[in-house]
Amino acid sequence: MAEANTLLKISNLKKQYSKKEVLKGIDIEIKEGEFVVVIGPSGAGKSTFIRCINRMVDPTHGAIEFGGTDVAKLKGKALREARSNIGMIFQHYNLIGRTNVIKNVLHGRLGHNSFFKTLTGSYSDAEKREALTLLQKVGLGDHIYKKANALSGGQMQRVGICRAMMQDPKLLLADEPIASLDPKSAKVIMDQIHGLVTERNIACIMNLHQVQVAKDYATRIIGIKDGRVVYDGAPADLTEAMIADIYEGKAEEMELKTDNVAVGELAYGV
Amino acid sequence: MAFSGFDQNVVPSEMNQVIPLAKKDSPARIKMWLTIGFIAALIVASFIHLSVNPLDILTAPPTMLTFMADNFFPPNTEIVANSLPVIIETFFFAVIATYVSAVISFTLGILMSERLNRHAVVRRGVRYFVAFLRNIPVIIWGSLLVFIFGIGNIVGLIALTIATMGFLSRSYAESMNDIAGERLEAMYASGASYMQILVHGLIPEFMPAWLNWTLFSFEINIRASAILGMVGAGGMGMLINSQMNLRNFRSASMLIMILVGMILITEFTVGFLRRKMT
Ligand SMILES: Nc1ncnc2c1ncn2[C@@H]1O[C@H](COP(=O)(O)OP(=O)(O)O)[C@@H](O)[C@H]1O
Ligand SMILES: [Mg+2]
Repeated sequence: MAEANTLLKISNLKKQYSKKEVLKGIDIEIKEGEFVVVIGPSGAGKSTFIRCINRMVDPTHGAIEFGGTDVAKLKGKALREARSNIGMIFQHYNLIGRTNVIKNVLHGRLGHNSFFKTLTGSYSDAEKREALTLLQKVGLGDHIYKKANALSGGQMQRVGICRAMMQDPKLLLADEPIASLDPKSAKVIMDQIHGLVTERNIACIMNLHQVQVAKDYATRIIGIKDGRVVYDGAPADLTEAMIADIYEGKAEEMELKTDNVAVGELAYGV
Repeated sequence: MAFSGFDQNVVPSEMNQVIPLAKKDSPARIKMWLTIGFIAALIVASFIHLSVNPLDILTAPPTMLTFMADNFFPPNTEIVANSLPVIIETFFFAVIATYVSAVISFTLGILMSERLNRHAVVRRGVRYFVAFLRNIPVIIWGSLLVFIFGIGNIVGLIALTIATMGFLSRSYAESMNDIAGERLEAMYASGASYMQILVHGLIPEFMPAWLNWTLFSFEINIRASAILGMVGAGGMGMLINSQMNLRNFRSASMLIMILVGMILITEFTVGFLRRKMT
């Protein structure tokens, strides 16, 4: 494979909440097509980190270079435009429950269209066709007129994936996308996300607390502990000792981790 | 023996002892007696200050019943035809006031919600304004507005709309704020504009709460529009009041019965609609 271009360059990223410094200077460069999984104990700052990238959280310090601009400095319309090129998937799916499935998917186009065009719900034929194709691909072709809140958790997350893909993003962010799902649905979701981002050469940054799942899918793993990057490298190089170090002092987290290895075994028949 | 294991551990001398469920003379106990004493003193003081003999309250119901039986029955059915326009008027008061305030309160609700309105100064301003509207009873708005506009329907309408706005804006704001957390987060993250988020995210999610609160306030407004007439703000209350002043008690009793019927029908219909929605 040819040397990929840098897509995202984060330098000295810091975030402080009133007194507490949650991110203590993070430097990371992400290349096109990378599948990066961020691991670390809860409270380490993983969600804060991922949310700084699309400015759902405003960083206190640092630069986030994406698409030729520093996202950290953007405001108003320019910020919305940057966001429209970054997809996001959430732990709780965050769908509009009383709206049907295909409309939820088309919400991914709102950022690319003007208010008046979307007011009447008139999306272009190409957009509607793309929405349907995506839904069929994730196995929801028969449910497009169902209200989103009538779906199961796994189905909701698949709608979330389609909505993010509708944005035609260059970067996909995912904050614990399988944390609320049973092992079986979790595997389906991981496979679908992995399949779609690989096929479309979308870079992905995903927070997970299942180390085994991270190792199975990631091209690169980043370990965050107490607001700092403590591991950045290939999944294969992440040893048990390093994992123990990342989760050090978090007894219940270690338990959680072993649980999730068990979950991994269940789901993947390891 | 079912309880053998239990009995074996009890020393015989302890078996007859009464076990108190609270410590005697504990601070909680003293506080309870102080509270009871205080409330009793307050009741006695109230009767003394109002110079009302408590026994009069006991004899009041028979007096009321005798008076009503003598003067209110049988109700005068002839008045029904004459007062029909006013009855309909009362209903429309409630309809218009509810409608208008539902629309205005939608905007005020957005402005009052922390998650939908980031301008703290504007938010606080609207909150105080709405609290002011809400905390003045509708009957006081009515008597106030009668001075400004004179006796008539417009007074009842404005008074009712103001009071409803006060109630609905706050209720809407709370429901909206619940919705505006995680549920709208994905839309923000995808670069949708504020107006797009309101139209495609907030409104569909808010719809059930919107209908629910609005129907509830309609029910309140039917009652209130009858009361408002007492201060000359139009509607049925005004008619009841004038019949009473003319000592046409049998006409008044007919009107009161119609009013109660109207309130019951509204209550029933609104209850039915609200159950159907959820
Ligand atoms: N809005 C907030 N205000 C104050 N503190 C916060 C806020 N969000 C997160 N934090 C704190 O920041 C730390 C990191 O949180 P988070 O990024 O959610 O960690 P993780 O996703 O790794 O579990 C935690 O200690 C959390 O309590
Ligand atoms: Mg988190």
